[in-house]
Amino acid sequence: MSDPQPLRGRLAIAAGLFGLLLAACDPEPPRPELHYTLSADSKQLLADYPAAQDQLLGTLGMLFGSPSNPRYAVPEEWIDDERNPNDAWAELSEARQAELVAANKKAFATPLAALERGDFAAVEPAREALDLQAAWGEIRAGYDEIAAAMEAGTKSRTDLDKYVAENKADAIALFTDWYPSLRESAEMYRTQCLHCHGINGDGKGSTAEFLNPTPRDYQRGAFKWTALNEKARPRRADLYGVLENGVNGTAMLSFKRFSATQLEGLVDYVRLLSIRGETERNLAREDAEEGFKIEAVQEAYLDVWSKWDKSAEFVIAYDGEIPEATPEVIEHGRVLYNDATGANCVSCHGVGGLGDGPSAKEPDPNGGPVPISKKDDWGNPLGPRDLTQGIYRGGDRPIDLYRRLYAGINGTYMPAHSTIKDPQGNRKVTDEDLWAIVHYVRSLSKGKRL
Amino acid sequence: MSFLNPSNGAWSILALLVALLLVLVTFVKFTRLWTVILIALLPILGVWTFVKAPEWGLWFPKDVSTHGAGMDSLFNLILWMVAITFVLTEVGLVWCVFRYHDKVPGKSLFTHGSHKLEMIWTAIPAVALLVIAFAQIGTFKQIKFEDHWPTGGPYSKDKPIAHVIAYQFAWLMRYPDANGSFDSVDVIESPFDFVVPVDTDIMFQLKSRDVLHSFFLPNLRLKQDAVPGMTIPMWFQATEVGEYDLICAELCGWGHYKMAGRLIVKSKPDYEKWLADKRAALKSNGTADLEAAE
Repeated sequence: MSDPQPLRGRLAIAAGLFGLLLAACDPEPPRPELHYTLSADSKQLLADYPAAQDQLLGTLGMLFGSPSNPRYAVPEEWIDDERNPNDAWAELSEARQAELVAANKKAFATPLAALERGDFAAVEPAREALDLQAAWGEIRAGYDEIAAAMEAGTKSRTDLDKYVAENKADAIALFTDWYPSLRESAEMYRTQCLHCHGINGDGKGSTAEFLNPTPRDYQRGAFKWTALNEKARPRRADLYGVLENGVNGTAMLSFKRFSATQLEGLVDYVRLLSIRGETERNLAREDAEEGFKIEAVQEAYLDVWSKWDKSAEFVIAYDGEIPEATPEVIEHGRVLYNDATGANCVSCHGVGGLGDGPSAKEPDPNGGPVPISKKDDWGNPLGPRDLTQGIYRGGDRPIDLYRRLYAGINGTYMPAHSTIKDPQGNRKVTDEDLWAIVHYVRSLSKGKRL
Repeated sequence: MSFLNPSNGAWSILALLVALLLVLVTFVKFTRLWTVILIALLPILGVWTFVKAPEWGLWFPKDVSTHGAGMDSLFNLILWMVAITFVLTEVGLVWCVFRYHDKVPGKSLFTHGSHKLEMIWTAIPAVALLVIAFAQIGTFKQIKFEDHWPTGGPYSKDKPIAHVIAYQFAWLMRYPDANGSFDSVDVIESPFDFVVPVDTDIMFQLKSRDVLHSFFLPNLRLKQDAVPGMTIPMWFQATEVGEYDLICAELCGWGHYKMAGRLIVKSKPDYEKWLADKRAALKSNGTADLEAAE
C-alpha cells in the first residue's frame, strides 16, 4: 500500500466495522411484542360491523392477554371458589407433581450440580424459561455484587460463602419446583410450535403450507386423537400424549427432547389458544346479527370452559380383558367389516382396507368425470385411512383403535359405531364386534408396516 | 461483554478473529514485517483454536462405544497429518513472503517444469493417502463388514433388536413381538426413544420411509445414511448406561433441524422391564385412564 488513506478515515472505517460486528454478535436480541389477531372467519362474520371487530379483539385481549403475556381472566364466582386457571400446577395430581419435580431434577442436572457445589457463577437457566431466568437473576445479582467487591478487596471469601449458604436452598428449590407460567410456555410455543400452528393456534403458521396433513387448528376446540367419547374437549393427558409421542405419519413429531414440565406447560398454552379460539368463534357468530354484545361475553367464556372442565367424564374404557386375536375372532371381524348393514367399514375403507371404498369420494357436483375428495370440518381434503400401512395416527394399541371405532374421529366422516342402533334401540355393533373389527384391522397391516 | 468470552462457543471465537483481522488490516501499513506477521497469524491462531477446543467444550462428546476408540484414533491420525502439512506449508509461505519481498519492483524469474519437484509432490500425497487407506481398514471392517457383525449374542442380522425407521422429520423404533417377529401385529413402536441394553452387541436394521436421512449417534461415533427402499443392517455396543443424542445428519427437508431422537442405554434388567411394560401396554383396556382422571 504505497498510498495509504489518511489515518482518520481508516479509524472511522475500523470503528464502523467493529460496531457492525458488535451488533451482529448481540446474544440477546430484543423480543418482539406479539399480538393475537381475529381469524378470517370472524372477520367475515363481522364484515358489516367494523367496530365490533375491534371490540371483539379487545375483549379477547382482556380474557386471554397477549402472546407476550397470556393470562386468563378470572370471573368473580371462581375467586370465591379459589379457582385460578392461571395456576395450572394446582390442577395436577400430587403424583404428577412429584413426576415433574423428578423431571426438573434431570433436565436441570447441570445447574443443580453447580448449585450444590456453591458455584453460582456457572448456572445458566434455559432461555425459554423467562420467569425462572428473572428469579435466578435476582439471586445471581447478589452473588456477582459480592464477587466484584471481593476482587476490589472490600469483601472477603467468607462473605461470599455466607451468601451462598443463605441462598442455596432457595436457588435449588427455584429449579426443582419450576413449573412454567403461561408466559414461559408461550415463549416455548413461539420457538417450537408457532411456525406450523400459528400465533393464534389456527394452524396457519409459515411452514403449514408445506404440510399434508395440515397442522391442527385449535380454534374449534376439536381434537382428533383423544381417548374420549362424544367429541369432548381433550383432557390434559390427551394433549400431552400427542406432544410426547407425536402423530405417526404426519409432521407432528415427538417432543420428548423437552422435559415433562415443559410439555405440561405447552399443554396449558395449547388449551388457552383453543379456549380463546372457540370463545372467539362463538362470540363472532352471536355478534354477526346485531354487532358487539358485551353481555354475551362472560357466558360464552364460561360456556367454553365448562366443556373443558367435563372432559374426564368422557373417557372410553372397556370393562374387562381385551379378547384374544384368534383366527376365529379375526374372521368374525372380517365379516363385520364387510357387513353393509352393520359396521360397513368397507364402504369407505374398501375391500382389503386400502382406503378405496365406493363412498370415499363424492361425485363432482359439476358433473365432471372424476369424483372429488370429501373434506373434513377444517376444509381439508380427506380420504379414508389406508389400513394396510399400519400407520395409526392416534396410537397403535388395540385400545386406541377401539376408541376410534367407538367414538369416531372428531371432525371427519369416521362415525361413532357405538351410536349405530337397530330399530329396537340396541347397539348394532356391540363391544365384542368392535374388538373383532379392531383385530381384523390390525391384521391387515401384518408384515406390511414401514 | 459476555460474547467476548471465548467459552461462549465458536461464534465468539470467529468474531474475535475477524475483529482482530479487521483492526490489523485497517491500521497497519503493509511493510514486510506486518505482512509476515499477518500471514503467520493464520497458522498460529488455527493451531491455537484446536489446542483450546476441548477446554471450550468444542471437542468430541464422550465416547461410550466399542467402535469409538478406533474412530477417534483414525480422526487423530488424519488430524496430525493435516496439522503437520498445514504448519509446514504455512511456514514455507511465510518464509517465501519474507525472503522474496522485493522492495524495488522488477521482472519476475520464470521457470518451467521440474521433474524432481513433480516426483516429490506426487509421491508424498500418494504415500499419505496410502497410509490413511491402510490405517482405516481395521476400523471400517469392524464397523461395516458382514463377517464382523455380531452372531453369538441375542441380536444378529436375522434377529435384530429393532427396525429404526426414519421419516420426515422423526425417528420411529419398531421392536419385535414376544416371539421375535417383525411381521406380527403386536410389534412395539417407540417414537423418539431407541432403547438398548448396555454391554451387548446391538444389531438393528435401518430404513427410510421417504427421503435420504442419516442415522447419527455422536457418542457412539456411528453414522449411516438411511436410504428409501433399502434395509441396512448396523451394529454397535454401548458401554455406559445413559441417554445420548440421536440426530439426523443428512439435510432431509425444512424440518431437518427438528429431527431428533434419543438413544437410551439401560442395564439389561431395566431393558427387559421396559420391553415387558411396552408389551403389557398393548393389552390395556383403557381403565387406567379412568383411574388417572380421579
